[in-house]
Amino acid sequence: MIGAKPRRILITGGNTGLGLALAKKLARRHQLLLSGRKSQDEVAGMLPPGAGYVVADQSDPESSARALVRGIGEFGWDGLHNAVLNAGTGTAPADSVDSTEAIRRSLDVNLLAALLQAQALYPLLEKSRGTLTLIGSLAHKGYATIPAYAASKAGLHGLARALRSEWKGAVSVQVLHPGPSKTDMHDKAGYDPGLMRSLFLAPDDVASMMASAIAARRSPVTLSWVRYLNGGAYTGRRL
Amino acid sequence: MQVRKRALVTGGSAGLGAAAVSWLQANNYDVVVLDRDQPLSGKAPVNFISCDLASRTELDNVMPELIAAGPYDLIFLNAGINVTGRFERIDARAHIDVIRINAEAPMVITARLFEAGAIRRGAAAVFVSSMSHFTGYPGAASYAASKDALAIYAKSMRRYAKTAGVTLTVAFPGPLKTNHAEQHAPEGADASKRMDADEAANLILTDALAGRRTSIPGPANRIFAVIGRIAPKPVTALMRKLIYDRLKPGM
Repeated sequence: MIGAKPRRILITGGNTGLGLALAKKLARRHQLLLSGRKSQDEVAGMLPPGAGYVVADQSDPESSARALVRGIGEFGWDGLHNAVLNAGTGTAPADSVDSTEAIRRSLDVNLLAALLQAQALYPLLEKSRGTLTLIGSLAHKGYATIPAYAASKAGLHGLARALRSEWKGAVSVQVLHPGPSKTDMHDKAGYDPGLMRSLFLAPDDVASMMASAIAARRSPVTLSWVRYLNGGAYTGRRL
Repeated sequence: MQVRKRALVTGGSAGLGAAAVSWLQANNYDVVVLDRDQPLSGKAPVNFISCDLASRTELDNVMPELIAAGPYDLIFLNAGINVTGRFERIDARAHIDVIRINAEAPMVITARLFEAGAIRRGAAAVFVSSMSHFTGYPGAASYAASKDALAIYAKSMRRYAKTAGVTLTVAFPGPLKTNHAEQHAPEGADASKRMDADEAANLILTDALAGRRTSIPGPANRIFAVIGRIAPKPVTALMRKLIYDRLKPGM
């Protein structure tokens, strides 16, 4: 079943971080369409060979959903086996109180964009009996230094739980919660993890765990050290 | 004579919010109500500030007035809307409003009030989430997302609030006897099983003033929440049976 033939896979935020690590892992066996905020020119040469790219800025949730649907059509796909809604942003406020702008951006980019994209992609996923994967975070249970980010990821958790039940039998829905990894996310968020960074997992290992979790279609799944030390990056199903 | 205290209630014009306003007025609070609609006449007067929380501009515009009306001894962040139906068929605009009103607005209000020092040391803040945090809510996916986001925002802010001497209580009410809940209840649901809004407000505010971290009003809801935590999947499946499978045709 899974793994038998190439799948059509959309990965949002596929031009950087975990999204790109996952794309590189899957590019050999599957057809990929990646999305990001950057222009085609800016990402040229950075993406795995053969992968398509569509510009979809998550900070405008409605238009990002439309851009994805249009991009999929222009790429010549009439269905979607996997949608991995991975794009995300974070801000670590200096005194733990988020600015209004940071609250709105976190919710728009991390939660509302994914929500409207899930809605817009439903017909394509349903047609291929596909899987919708939301990328949450270990922080979805609450995190004092990043309240708005944690809230947005908790929202994804609740969304996945409801949708998994609603779409049962039509589209598989799951949420994966990766722990911190060595991407440039913390720099971008204005947070210096210091020595803690040496404990973060390599993006490549997290991407391996993501791929097998996607193939297994379970939800929710936490992708952290515990799973890693149990061989999570090397065992499990192959996508 | 007791010193009057000051409270802010969002969505205080109807439902649980209106019940909280009555409770607070009976307990020596002057109440500021932030709502889109005027409170029903015939009640004790409140300081009413009009705002549609779905609009970012409107909220930004009233924020200075809201801060000036403080400092508050209690804030009750209750304003919320629900949208029920099959997720993919609900208008995208409605999903956006749900996230903005239920999660974004109370988060912005909390952050700005704290920053401005408009919440007094010793104050209590109440965030009205939902029982769906423990049970899942097929048939109201964006609502469930918004209420989970709000609950976790409050949890994340607790450390900061402690330094400001403020306690944060997250309330997880079950189905209530309010006009709004009526519209979203499945067809044939037994209204007598829903909790009276006055009773819920009393239980939640009592918990908040005692500094409790969570408030689940009513023993039946508390049992449901415990089961939901132990076995989230069967409980979500049960919610599907109770709600999603009974959605009115066309929704």
